[in-house]
Amino acid sequence: MISRSTALNLSFLTLVGWALFLGVLTGRAELMLVAVPLVAALAAGRLTRTPAAAWQISRRVSADRLVEGERVTVTVTLRAHQPLALVELLQPLPPHVWPERGSNHAFFSLRPGEEAHWTFDLACAVRQQLRLGDIHLRRWEPLGFAAGETRHREPDAEVAVLPQVAAIRRPPRPRRTQTFVGHHVSPAQGEGLEPGDVRPFAPGDQVRHVNWRATLRLGVLHVTRHHQERNADIILLLDTLADVGPPGASAVDCAVRGAASIAAACLARRDRVGLIEYGGILRQVRPRAGRAQWQRLLDTLARASVVFTYVSRDLEMIPPRVLPPRALVLALSPLLDGRFVKAVADLAARGFEVVLIAVSPVAAGRAVVRGGPVADLAARLWALERRAYLDELRRHGLTVVAWDGVEPLEVALARGHRPRLRAAHA
Amino acid sequence: MIARLTGLALMAMLAGLPLIILPEPFLGALAALALAVGAAGALAPNVSLATAGGTLALIEYTLALLLGRPDPDPLTATITGVGLVLLLASVHFASRTHGAALGYAVLRSQARHWLAVAALGVVGAAVLTLGGEALALALRGAALPMVVAASAVGALMTVVGVIALVTTSRRDA
Repeated sequence: MISRSTALNLSFLTLVGWALFLGVLTGRAELMLVAVPLVAALAAGRLTRTPAAAWQISRRVSADRLVEGERVTVTVTLRAHQPLALVELLQPLPPHVWPERGSNHAFFSLRPGEEAHWTFDLACAVRQQLRLGDIHLRRWEPLGFAAGETRHREPDAEVAVLPQVAAIRRPPRPRRTQTFVGHHVSPAQGEGLEPGDVRPFAPGDQVRHVNWRATLRLGVLHVTRHHQERNADIILLLDTLADVGPPGASAVDCAVRGAASIAAACLARRDRVGLIEYGGILRQVRPRAGRAQWQRLLDTLARASVVFTYVSRDLEMIPPRVLPPRALVLALSPLLDGRFVKAVADLAARGFEVVLIAVSPVAAGRAVVRGGPVADLAARLWALERRAYLDELRRHGLTVVAWDGVEPLEVALARGHRPRLRAAHA
Repeated sequence: MIARLTGLALMAMLAGLPLIILPEPFLGALAALALAVGAAGALAPNVSLATAGGTLALIEYTLALLLGRPDPDPLTATITGVGLVLLLASVHFASRTHGAALGYAVLRSQARHWLAVAALGVVGAAVLTLGGEALALALRGAALPMVVAASAVGALMTVVGVIALVTTSRRDA
């Protein structure tokens, strides 16, 4: 560690110079005496050289996963092997993270063998893969005339700040189901609870399936068939081509929270849920079910961000294991980039069942401009223009759910008209 | 906050001390100016402003000595010097620790160090005063130009030595 002189030396020299100059000028010995404590301090600062110190730093983070708005506690332990007159520690913070309790900057004075614990709480407002880097350490000479700086290489503490999840009791139901057992009534007949067709008895039919009322009326044994209960594949298609709004409350942030909420609801009813992030980087998560998949989806959603590109991604390149046939595609988008609408229209044309959840960027965009009548009028015009655009998409056959990002997503989903799907279940 | 208030109190003392020697209105105006600049430096906290305030207080002290022509008073001069040392130390410490978590152990350790330095300054001033008296007795009757030349060379060498000490960065490890 290289120790360098601080600006304090210059201040002392200035005062010493003034005292000597005025003393010589006026011929008063008192002014020479004024300079003596200053010179003594400077000399002491240079002569009290502290030996090369040894210390040990460790850092502990209270959680590796948390939700937007939650706090994480960071504890740094500093142990001195040799005396440390004054040590300054600084933990640099990434954007959108701030100390809520305590400070990320601290001073310590330790005797040999002494240990200090430094704790502070960080508030994480925006979803991200939070990475706490090296701890900066500055060792001051006892009198502050010199200081040496170094970085303590600590393994990066990574904390996944995950999007907030809102409860959705009735997520969109798919028209077509898959082969595994789930909570959806399948059109296919077989084992299940939901009664289906009635047909004459055939060898192999179980007695408990005999429909006695039909049998007595028709005089021949009849059995009731049942609809199978199957799971479904839900693919969340997230648009990260463009964004608008302040960090943490942008249109993409709303879309990410919506995607997480839908994923939680669908996984709870045993569906397989996958994710495609459609943006500058095409991230994919294969549809699966279970808790591990939930964590996988959250991790991917936490990293979702806008990466600018001119390239139009072709969803035909997505392999069937990621975008399986008969899957329900829930596309979440602020509809700021036409390439996403084109991709969704292509999917619908290929026979996928697509529901476009249009996250309104108007409120998010309004938050980043100064208030005033002109801004209000512009926002109203933008909202009208979007409404007309969504109507046009509906006329083209797309199922569109308008969501302003403020009201609960469940309300928007309930309001969305999906006559085709309801007819299929009837 | 403690360091800032200490700096403020020291600045008030440095600005008020010359008024005891010579309570004149214009000196009071200069004291007010020194106090304003120094207090801004202590509260900001900014070492440059505190240095400017200290310099103004020193000029005020010089004017009080020059116009009041009091008998030599080593005690007031030593108090002024120690006050300047502690003013710069406290303001510098406050500026470093601004917004940081700070324990009482750190404050205790710093106070111990700076009081030791102040005590060293007092001892140095006392030694210089006594040495000066002894030298005056020894040089009684010597030619004045020679004494002045020797003193100037000595002061110059001291300043050069201090500058050389201060500006040389050193490597600990």
